[in-house]
Amino acid sequence: MADISENVVFHGKLSELYRLAKEGKITTKLQGSHTRPCKFWTAMKILSGIRNAIVIAHGPSGCAYGVKAAYKLTNSRNSGSPYESVVSTNVDMKRIVYGGEKELKGAILEVDQKYTPDLIVVATSCATGIIGDNVDAVVDGLKDQLHAQTLIIHCEGFAGEYRSGFDLVFKELVKLMEAPNPEEQARLADAVNIVGGKMGPERTEVDTDVKELMRLVEGMGARVHSVIAGNCTMEELRTAASVAVNCTLCLDIGYVIGREMLSVHGTPLNSTILPYGIAATEKWILEAARYLKKEEEAKALMAREYEAIRVEFEEAKSHLVGKTAIVEGHDAVKSLSIAHMLEHDFGMRAIIFNFHPWDTGARETSIDYLLETGIDPEILITKGTLAFGKYESMQQTEEELLKFLGGIDTSSVVYFGSSLSFPSIPLVDLNAILNRPRFGYRGALKVAQCINKALNYSFRPRSWLSKKMVFPKKAGLASASSLTPKLSQDLPDCTVYAGRRRGRCLNS
Amino acid sequence: MLEQLKFENCNHSRDPIVSCALEGVASVIAGIQDVSIVIHSPQGCAATVAAAYDAHETDFTKRKVACTRLFESDIIMGASEKLMDLIRQADKSFGASVLFIVGTCSADIIGENLEGICAEMQPEINAKLIPVTAGGFRGNSYEGMEMGLAALLPIIRKHETKKEKTVNLIAPQANLNPTWFADFHWVREVLGKLGVEVQTVFSHDTSMAQIEAAGAASGNLLLSHDTGHGFVQKLEKTHGIPLLLGDLPLPVGVKNTSRWIRALGEQFGAQEAAEKLVEEGEGQVLDVLRRRALMLIPRYRNCKVVLSADGTIGLGLVRMVFEELEMIPELLLFRSALTPAAREILERELDDLGLKTKVAFAVDGYQIKKAVNEVQADAMIGSSWEKYIAEEAGIKIAFDLLSPSNREVYVDRPYFGYEGALNILEVFANDWERAFRSKAIDPALCD
Repeated sequence: MADISENVVFHGKLSELYRLAKEGKITTKLQGSHTRPCKFWTAMKILSGIRNAIVIAHGPSGCAYGVKAAYKLTNSRNSGSPYESVVSTNVDMKRIVYGGEKELKGAILEVDQKYTPDLIVVATSCATGIIGDNVDAVVDGLKDQLHAQTLIIHCEGFAGEYRSGFDLVFKELVKLMEAPNPEEQARLADAVNIVGGKMGPERTEVDTDVKELMRLVEGMGARVHSVIAGNCTMEELRTAASVAVNCTLCLDIGYVIGREMLSVHGTPLNSTILPYGIAATEKWILEAARYLKKEEEAKALMAREYEAIRVEFEEAKSHLVGKTAIVEGHDAVKSLSIAHMLEHDFGMRAIIFNFHPWDTGARETSIDYLLETGIDPEILITKGTLAFGKYESMQQTEEELLKFLGGIDTSSVVYFGSSLSFPSIPLVDLNAILNRPRFGYRGALKVAQCINKALNYSFRPRSWLSKKMVFPKKAGLASASSLTPKLSQDLPDCTVYAGRRRGRCLNS
Repeated sequence: MLEQLKFENCNHSRDPIVSCALEGVASVIAGIQDVSIVIHSPQGCAATVAAAYDAHETDFTKRKVACTRLFESDIIMGASEKLMDLIRQADKSFGASVLFIVGTCSADIIGENLEGICAEMQPEINAKLIPVTAGGFRGNSYEGMEMGLAALLPIIRKHETKKEKTVNLIAPQANLNPTWFADFHWVREVLGKLGVEVQTVFSHDTSMAQIEAAGAASGNLLLSHDTGHGFVQKLEKTHGIPLLLGDLPLPVGVKNTSRWIRALGEQFGAQEAAEKLVEEGEGQVLDVLRRRALMLIPRYRNCKVVLSADGTIGLGLVRMVFEELEMIPELLLFRSALTPAAREILERELDDLGLKTKVAFAVDGYQIKKAVNEVQADAMIGSSWEKYIAEEAGIKIAFDLLSPSNREVYVDRPYFGYEGALNILEVFANDWERAFRSKAIDPALCD
């Protein structure tokens, strides 16, 4: 590969990057174009996955409107959910001056009557957080008058970094769970929870990763009690702590609720990296089976599943051993899991390209886990990663990637990343909806098939039309110029943010 | 007198289908060229501002937005210094001619003195600083648009002499057509054919120089029934520019379009040109419908329909669905409170059509759902939200016409004007056909 040393910020193992970040020897500041939603938004993303729950956003209407438009509408459009409300106390100027507790009390009573939900969640916003409404007292004072259970989430947008909303809600959900009892434990002895889900029901027309995990769980004679919080019910949450084991869907955010349930209720936790590929899937299955006491069934399942893909998988693998994979690093946990799969299952050399140093802090739990279990992939970070723009479609990272690849033989390297990137090597986009499921044995086969397709059609130049769309002439630093509103919802915004040096979260 | 629906249990809780004042303010600023915004807020509010830029489909590379990203200690200790630093940084890196300094809920409540900071910093900053206080609690996005427009008033220069046959176009973006740009372009095109020049657009792709020169226009055309009324009143009072066609529904549907064009022709002494447009436009609609849409008559006649829309599109649709399609508007649900003038228009329209249809203004999601469940309707006109509500209520047909829509529209399509009427009818026809396609037949049984 070509020498691009003048463009390289870091090239080495994940453990080395992690050390440098901890010692402050590499910048971990996230530039404006890559920043995230606030705590309120991330809290709402998890809360959107609880069925027949109404969130009352205590504040002005814009906060409730924004999350409803982003999450609830997506649930309806993609997953066939009915129209779902997010309620606001619609706090106005008068309430800002005189306090909004009366509005909140009225709203809770109205919501209980008009929606008859199983759960009313009161989520605070910046405005009501600042004026100091005593939300806890209001909710506590009403509990006896309500049909619904209640939960309070203090998620003012200024009160934490973006992922603090995920963690907070997952911890608070544990408060809705009853302590395990022998009767429930016996009933749920063959059941697992999949933890770390969000937003709502699975798409019925897509072979999603969650559905694949459920199929595998059932394949060893067990069942899934609840996907938390992926369209879970209050009844499921109530008894969730009595299952045989919690299995993480996403190591990163599933780990928080898993740890909390382990700590509060002693529910065992099966936490591995994302089950991409056979090695990670087998680890996921065997660990679950240990708590389910279904080791033999698990082994039989693994043999059946492997046999079903063996011929095609091994054929694909034989073409891949020894080849190099460049894995786009903008989705940190996913890229680490994919790298693990490519190394362990396919015998490839995986290089994670442009893993942002910021992720060493944001994904600390996952990285600790990976390093402890001996997974220490190669990371390459170029200057473009730290520049303003979009990871997937940035002229600078694109040029750096092309330079890195140099005059490489296109048949020896595969790029795993967004198809909004145009490297001169075969490209596999695992986010494409046709490439699901990605987990499990079927996922491993799907990946193998994707790689084969990419290699077989590497003679076809990438679409000149698509490339010109993404990289228009004179686009400057950034690209992806013409975003339709729908697409822009899925991409990071491009706001420049002030540094954290003065402001900070008091709880951080 | 309009017969308005009443809802229980809605005094303290709302399921909003309209965003807050911040988005409204930002949607005015996002329509101005070469300006940037510094939002004094926690980071989540940047998503609301981004939504306003999305509505204008502003190129990623042209979005010049900075956010102070307030955290707890800023809220407690104040963050004026942080804001001042970011203003300096934004001025240097964006190089825009104007910087809007927008305070959202947090900055507004803790009492950050945006006007004072801007006045103090102006001598050292190259860009002109314009402070706007836009706490989301100050209103909904329609009210926010009024606030954003009001912030532009001091920039408009006085012109004693008005340019003849020139108009300002106001609030084109306050329109639920998913490609509202096409409505805006249709208006410009019609004005051009009548010999009328557009002075300033408030705002879409508008330069600061155009805003400064808006006082020279001889009339204002308000392109929304939901917002902008306060702004046009102030323009009339301070700049002597009258509101034109303020007593007519916007040009949605054939008859409304013809009325609107004729009134415009009369206003600017271009009756002949207006008549020509009407003749051609009505001819075009009839020609297309005769050839391709004869089924329109048996299909829609006496179909009871719930209309849930903004005032801009919805007000005109009342006459279109009742008079031209022979549907029966069973309920009229409006997302905004409508401007005072628009309410008068609605009342006159219903009187003129002999309708006593129940109406609700500034509805929320719950109220739409509740109202829909309490009527017997065959169809619903609205957005994808209304489509899902209709599905749940057992209403077979839902016309997914407005934003947010599940319809992918690549080529901008007007809803204003004659072609606009055809576009609306095309949406109706396709959604109608899909609604009645059998889904339960097993293909294996058809061999």
